[in-house]
Amino acid sequence: MSMGGLLQSLLNGLTLGGIYILVALGLTLVLSIMGIVQISHGEIYMVGAYLVYYMVAKLGLNFFASIIIATLLVGGLGIFLERVCFRSFRGDPDRSMTIAISLTLVFQSIVLFIAGGKPLSYPSPFQGVLHIFGVAMAWNRLVIVLVGFALLVVLFLFITYSRRGQAMLAISQERDGAALQGINIDFVSALAMFLGCGLAAVAGGLIGSLFSISPTMGSFALMKGIACIILGGLGSLPGAVLGGLILGLIDGILPSLTTTHIAGLVGFATIIVILLFRPQGIWGHE
Amino acid sequence: MKRAFSSVLLAAGLVVLPLVASGPYYIHTFILAMMNIALASSLRLISLSGQIPLAHGGMATIGAYMSALLMMKLGLSSWLSLIIAGLGVALIATLVGYPFVRLKGVYFTIVTAFFGEMVVLTAQQWQSLTGGSGGVYGIPGPDPIVVPGLFTIDFSSKAEFYYLVLFLVAVNLAFIYAIEKSRVGLTFSGIKQADSLAESSGIDTIGFKVLAFAAGSFFAGIVGAFYSQYISAIAPDSFGFMFTVYTLVYMVAGGQKSFMGPILGAIVLTLLPEVTRSFKEYVPFFFAAVLIAVIFFVPDGIAGLALRTTWWVSKKLGMKHA
Repeated sequence: MSMGGLLQSLLNGLTLGGIYILVALGLTLVLSIMGIVQISHGEIYMVGAYLVYYMVAKLGLNFFASIIIATLLVGGLGIFLERVCFRSFRGDPDRSMTIAISLTLVFQSIVLFIAGGKPLSYPSPFQGVLHIFGVAMAWNRLVIVLVGFALLVVLFLFITYSRRGQAMLAISQERDGAALQGINIDFVSALAMFLGCGLAAVAGGLIGSLFSISPTMGSFALMKGIACIILGGLGSLPGAVLGGLILGLIDGILPSLTTTHIAGLVGFATIIVILLFRPQGIWGHE
Repeated sequence: MKRAFSSVLLAAGLVVLPLVASGPYYIHTFILAMMNIALASSLRLISLSGQIPLAHGGMATIGAYMSALLMMKLGLSSWLSLIIAGLGVALIATLVGYPFVRLKGVYFTIVTAFFGEMVVLTAQQWQSLTGGSGGVYGIPGPDPIVVPGLFTIDFSSKAEFYYLVLFLVAVNLAFIYAIEKSRVGLTFSGIKQADSLAESSGIDTIGFKVLAFAAGSFFAGIVGAFYSQYISAIAPDSFGFMFTVYTLVYMVAGGQKSFMGPILGAIVLTLLPEVTRSFKEYVPFFFAAVLIAVIFFVPDGIAGLALRTTWWVSKKLGMKHA
């Protein structure tokens, strides 16, 4: 592969990695604070993409304004779901997973009913290319990388330096202990769902400017998101980022060398092999 | 006595079903319901040891391809292929089971879901063996059963396939019942209730978990092999991820705690959408509604609801409990 081709694949890998990380961070937040594997997280991402589609393509709103509105709306949806569906099943994996599976079906049916099953797309506001070292890099992909990593930095600052962020860390380490210190678990759970669903909506809105969107797009994102958090270490935010980067690069670079099927197989095989030797993931601890 | 009577009545009803059912489409639906019973019950067998896999679709896919290829490339008899496919799937489940069962709870579930996806990807990629995304076509049906001088079953009608799947399901349920009531079943529930306690009292928890996974997957492989002989085609996504999820739904909505649960769940949830056939696109919605209602209002599932209704009715009628 030529140098230019390699840089192109690297950019593709980082773009996918940015999307995977946004999805994985939401999953890992909800998992570590509420003890729930949010199977319908992929559908939240899909709903975000459709909201942005309607605002950009139908209402003609600005791309970034649409993403911000969609993020707030979907974050609100997250708070609603936490209150109505997940609060009673916190820390009960079997039943919360079944609830999440039914939410998956509900969201898919609703979107299928409203928007129809055929793939839709909207243009990225960023056309054209940037020339770096004589290699053409598409702006619409660079934007995704930049937005993704900017959000990542903001989230880390929030968790490290704010009281609410520290409360989240405390709950993920020891729920009962945190409650005894006066941390409001219900509030922080709702906050985690708001942030997690909001990040998924951003990821969905961004991916829609690159690929077409469909009601079943969520299962792919969910698979990749779960793969990232398992690879990196469950409940670990830096682990989710590392996992997202590794899988993004595998999915960005390998398809140009072999086929997409083989790239998918390598991704899953990597996770299984790593779990054999480190069941807690790369960054996780017992 | 009453129980034996109702069992005989149920068996007789199942046997004469194809004679009274109007048209091949209904028999096809009954065949699917039978397959779902076998899948949901074998999933419950694995869940007895405290782990819920999402690899059942993948295991059925492997069984289907294995049986199809054994028949078409090696020319083996359909019955031998069916058995070898089941055993092959059990072997694969044992091999992947050893690393998988070390992961607990939800993590086990997720990794098995990945395994199911890997099966689909492998079937799509390995074109020389599996025919790629198009799958395998023209799979021969089961070999005829000839009893000289009496009758011949050549599997030319759907009713004959129905009796075959009825037989397979009966054997499957008998096996699962026997395992559950045996010492092995007790060990499974011990591991489910207190993993570390079971281990410290000398039980090989890893070995028993792998055993449960392999035994449940064996039946999934048999169902897959049957399906490929019945439909005479198999594609990589014939048993996709949603198919596996539906199997889980049959088990949870039916009632995970009782033996009858997955059976009732599979029957009700396979046949009810057919009643509302004109609203086919709403089937997922219907599934979700039943599932949410069960989780929130009937924690012991359709089986528990049925049991309580029977009690309530017999109390109203002034009968004594059997």
